Amino acid sequence: MRGLEFWKHVSIGRYVESDSPVHRLAPATKYLWLAVVVIAASASRSAIVVGASFAAPLAFARLARVRASFLLRGFTPVLPFLTIAAAFQVLFSWPGDASRVLVSLGPVSLSSREAVAVALMALRFAAIMTAIGLFTSVTSEGDTARGVEDFFKPLERIGFPARAFALTIAVAFRFIPIVAGEFESVVKAQAARGADFGSGTRNPLRKAKAYLPLVVPVTVRALERAEALAEAMEARCYGVGEATRYAETAGGAADVFAKVSALAFAAGAIAAGAMASGAMAAGAASIR
Amino acid sequence: MERTNVRRVVVSGALGAVSAVMAITPLGYLPWFGGASLTIMHIPVIVAAVLEGPVAGTVVGLVFGVTSLLKAATAPVGPLDPLFANPLVSILPRLLIGLAAWAAYKLFRGKMTPLAAGFAGAVGSIVNTVLVLLALGLTASEQLSGAFGVEAGALPAILASLALSNGLVEAAAAAVFTSSVVSAWKGIEGARGRSRLAGEKG
Repeated sequence: MRGLEFWKHVSIGRYVESDSPVHRLAPATKYLWLAVVVIAASASRSAIVVGASFAAPLAFARLARVRASFLLRGFTPVLPFLTIAAAFQVLFSWPGDASRVLVSLGPVSLSSREAVAVALMALRFAAIMTAIGLFTSVTSEGDTARGVEDFFKPLERIGFPARAFALTIAVAFRFIPIVAGEFESVVKAQAARGADFGSGTRNPLRKAKAYLPLVVPVTVRALERAEALAEAMEARCYGVGEATRYAETAGGAADVFAKVSALAFAAGAIAAGAMASGAMAAGAASIR
Repeated sequence: MERTNVRRVVVSGALGAVSAVMAITPLGYLPWFGGASLTIMHIPVIVAAVLEGPVAGTVVGLVFGVTSLLKAATAPVGPLDPLFANPLVSILPRLLIGLAAWAAYKLFRGKMTPLAAGFAGAVGSIVNTVLVLLALGLTASEQLSGAFGVEAGALPAILASLALSNGLVEAAAAAVFTSSVVSAWKGIEGARGRSRLAGEKG
């Protein structure tokens, strides 16, 4: 029977143990850069900002000795989609498009505005993909959770439970393989009793029904395990006193520099974005 | 059973893991008519909101959203996946599922748990569908019209029909699943009727 080993072919995050200036950065710094780059790439209207947020992770990747081709591996399945989107951009022209026409073939024309839109879309996606891919390959699981705590530490003063939040993330990480294992054993147990997931029956309603005796036991067992874990933690007085850490993630000069440059990047992105929209508004005004 | 903070945190983590596993394996999709599939990945979020309150629901929603963002950015499979590589689409709407589901559950004031959980499931699912489609429509209208092969003007109609066709079935599925999980966890046996022991809380 195919498709029982759900976990085998799935990987999220591909941390590679290594020693580089980027690996050594404090997790909170990595989060700061990740947040800045992803937000800039997804929200900015300025092509320069999107380009810069693609270039920044690539520069870090070089420093971290992670190959860019490794980060962009997931880009191939997206290409057909981008091609279709590009084709539609070319076929249907924008209403009120006054920009210069680059190529024209009968009724079909490619204006510079359309070309920019397609390129920007591809660039946006590539930027987000490289940033997230790089983050997961230079940050270990433990650091991912610790980084959450450090990142939100400033908010603790206004009552944000940074520690509890980080613990939730850590528990989720720890539980992912357990839950995947539970899914696998329940599917196998059901299959041994003649249950059928997917292949045999044609009736979608029956297929959907088959998932109920799969999802319910897995969720309930996860809840049971969580209760047991909580009890064990409470028995050891977790959450009573101040919690300490075994591994301190020290922030050196490189760290401070990286943090400051991330903030500078964010400020630059906002400024460039404001300038771009200002230029756009001016352009619109001049058209009118 | 007294709900302590540690318990709440750990249970949120565990349900976050269930949601994450569903989001990265094919298990999060129910096969449905005509090759379409229904998502059930948001059900752990609703369960967390019903069992542990709005904060837990939001946190599990965050875990779910981040996982789907990660998946869309590192291992996209479908043509629409790239559009989810945008925190505005994949994370922001998911934060509100738990809140809505919890509010819906609270409407019943702790009575008729299976029905209340089912209602919470439906409401949480509808919130997910509507907000995700809305976010998609707002952030990626050009790409979407390319993917569906229509002009941008026809997009709202397409999104609305998607919301109705897929969204309503998903809401029904979410109602059934949430109700079953919550009932099973709270030890309420619907059809078979297990009597409760004296002093045992539901």
